[in-house]
Amino acid sequence: MLNEKGGESLYAKRRRPTDTALKFLIYFAAAVTVTIVVGIILYILIEGIPHITWKFLSTSYSALDTSRQGILPMILNTLYIVILTLLISVPVGICSAIYLTQYARRGRLVRTIDFTTEVLSGIPSIIFGLFGYTVFCVLFRLQTSILAGSLTMAICILPTIIRTTEESLLSVPSSYKEGAMALGAGKLHVIGGIVLPCAMPGVLTGVILAVGRIVGESAALLFTSGLGFNMPNGGFAGAMTHIMESGRTLTLHLYTTAMDSTGPNTLNAAFATAAVLLIMVFLLNRLAGLLSKTLRKG
Amino acid sequence: MENRMTDEQRDRRREKTQLIVRITAAVLGMVSAASFFLPYLTFIFRKQVYTVSALQLLTVRGFRVRGPQMEGIVTIPVLARASVVVGLALAVAGVVLILLKRAVPAGACFILSALTPLLVLISTGEIQSAVTQLNVVQMSVRYLTPFFLVLALGVFCAVLSLWTMGSERLAQSIFLVCACGSIGSVLIITIYVIVSGAPAIGKIGLLPFLFGTKWAAGSGQFGILPMILSSIAATVGAVLLGVPVGIFTAVFLSETAQPAVAKAVHPAVELLAGIPSVIYGFFGMLVVVPFIKRCGEIFHWNTQGDSLLAAILILAVMVLPTIVSVSETALRAVPDAYREASMALGATPVRTIFKVTLPAARSGVLSGVILGVGRAVGETMAVIMVAGNVANMPRLLGSVRFLTTGIALELSYSSGLHRQALFAIGLVLFVFIMIVDVLFTYISRKGVKMDAE
Repeated sequence: MLNEKGGESLYAKRRRPTDTALKFLIYFAAAVTVTIVVGIILYILIEGIPHITWKFLSTSYSALDTSRQGILPMILNTLYIVILTLLISVPVGICSAIYLTQYARRGRLVRTIDFTTEVLSGIPSIIFGLFGYTVFCVLFRLQTSILAGSLTMAICILPTIIRTTEESLLSVPSSYKEGAMALGAGKLHVIGGIVLPCAMPGVLTGVILAVGRIVGESAALLFTSGLGFNMPNGGFAGAMTHIMESGRTLTLHLYTTAMDSTGPNTLNAAFATAAVLLIMVFLLNRLAGLLSKTLRKG
Repeated sequence: MENRMTDEQRDRRREKTQLIVRITAAVLGMVSAASFFLPYLTFIFRKQVYTVSALQLLTVRGFRVRGPQMEGIVTIPVLARASVVVGLALAVAGVVLILLKRAVPAGACFILSALTPLLVLISTGEIQSAVTQLNVVQMSVRYLTPFFLVLALGVFCAVLSLWTMGSERLAQSIFLVCACGSIGSVLIITIYVIVSGAPAIGKIGLLPFLFGTKWAAGSGQFGILPMILSSIAATVGAVLLGVPVGIFTAVFLSETAQPAVAKAVHPAVELLAGIPSVIYGFFGMLVVVPFIKRCGEIFHWNTQGDSLLAAILILAVMVLPTIVSVSETALRAVPDAYREASMALGATPVRTIFKVTLPAARSGVLSGVILGVGRAVGETMAVIMVAGNVANMPRLLGSVRFLTTGIALELSYSSGLHRQALFAIGLVLFVFIMIVDVLFTYISRKGVKMDAE
């Protein structure tokens, strides 16, 4: 008893008012952060979710007719851009990462590529937009089109893909490789049969993060994929003509409807679009988290 | 025993496959050369439509174009002609080389030949400017299938010719080409930003451009000082607000919080990083801006709500996750021995955090802050929705325009010097980001060095 009391009094002596103040500040800052997160998310979801209806998700949009506020074309455009971008960027990114980790000697080339991917990831997306607009839309005569937007986004997400793939390729134990080599497998066979499958969860996590980035991107797409809202025609031919047309993604749709909102009808549609976007981003985040968890377990 | 191949049989079989691959590559190379003679691109000037093959681009003198008042012949640019000649020559050279069993040069020839159609496209810029002089505003170019055929066949032939050297070599060259592609894209972006930004700075003059206080595209005044200062003001403001909150939150997560609480708060911070910037802008537009406006009415401030302050508040929230996650990683990397030693000397937990743990993690925390600065400087869509976008000198409650928003607002309708000036803003922004990047690399290297010691 005495000991405990003595300990307490010693502790009390050491306690300073600044300690209490700083401790309070730490908790306060954490509380502020959490409040902001919860506040923004709840605000968007509470205002948005009641306006998400099946009709909203499955009909087309008209800029003039405020009763036609469906977002199906925008969902499809987002999907088109995600798929096209991944088709261009994932093979190139994975191949680059394979070269960097499996073939290249840790020399100047690797350092240059590492440095350039770092630089690429720091460039603001509006500069990508500027670049994509002048190169793909003007120079290569793609006009503002989904294809031009996808090409721009492909450059945008390349660093993410290369980095995550590199990391997961390096995390494959070299004993696996050596074992396969000892059995007489060629290098390509080892990479295709052992290294890449082992690194797959990591690569997929990178791809999902990249999808999140594409879904959330707006500045790079504003001038490259444009603000069109046509419904694509069905079939392969329809898809092919659609990628040469301008098309807005969900983010750009939210931007334009929010900026030119004319009344409660359009504002509600904007809220619903925002909620749809948030939910999509959450799900992608969750998926990436789950995948990296399985990676850590394996 | 009977169905196992001898080495000799295997060699013969490999040679046979190689021969087939080589012949296929040669045939496809010839097809790709032949597709230069098919209708290739369609040029549309107002109501006139010309469908040309690559060969026609070479032999025809020009397009006869009729404008509203004038009529004239637009000659075909030298670049277009040269690239057609080179493309054809390279395709033929590739076919010859592959038949001579020179796989690598043949592959290079095929790849380069596949790229020449892009040069043709680039040269159409010259046609465009010639057409503009005839007062024909609209000109469009439509691709036809042979155009893609040349592109795709070239690449495919290159793959085939490298394949004759075995799949190992083929794979390695594909990987190398991809890696070089990713370097190439950065180099091209850097070069492009500089090349397209420089002319306007040359025409306006560096000092009038950087320090001019008036931006009026209509009257040809292009001074971006207000945008530069607004960008700096917003970044500094966001950092001043975001850094303390961010660092304290990181301290909370890594030092003081119960593991269960930290586990709940951590995903929240990650979520904050994942929210698209348009949603931040939307939130700011509907909540922050009206709030500032309301405050302005109560306290008689001169404000409409969309202001520098609104942008600072939104940016502060946006840089928060970057600062928190980078600082948290740095704090967790501090060895426990430091903390224990400090506690053993009688320091309280809070004193330990501020005197030992944070200073030990300072290079990591600083890189988090710099990354946050980079994000704040480059942010476009969130601030465009809350800042009012008038190119004024920055005033906390006044409407401002940033470097990023300056580009985004005017690019779609700009032309001539105006457009070049926007590219020059892009260049200035790029320089800003490069400075931030170099600082970041320097500081993180220093951190690594300190850890090594």
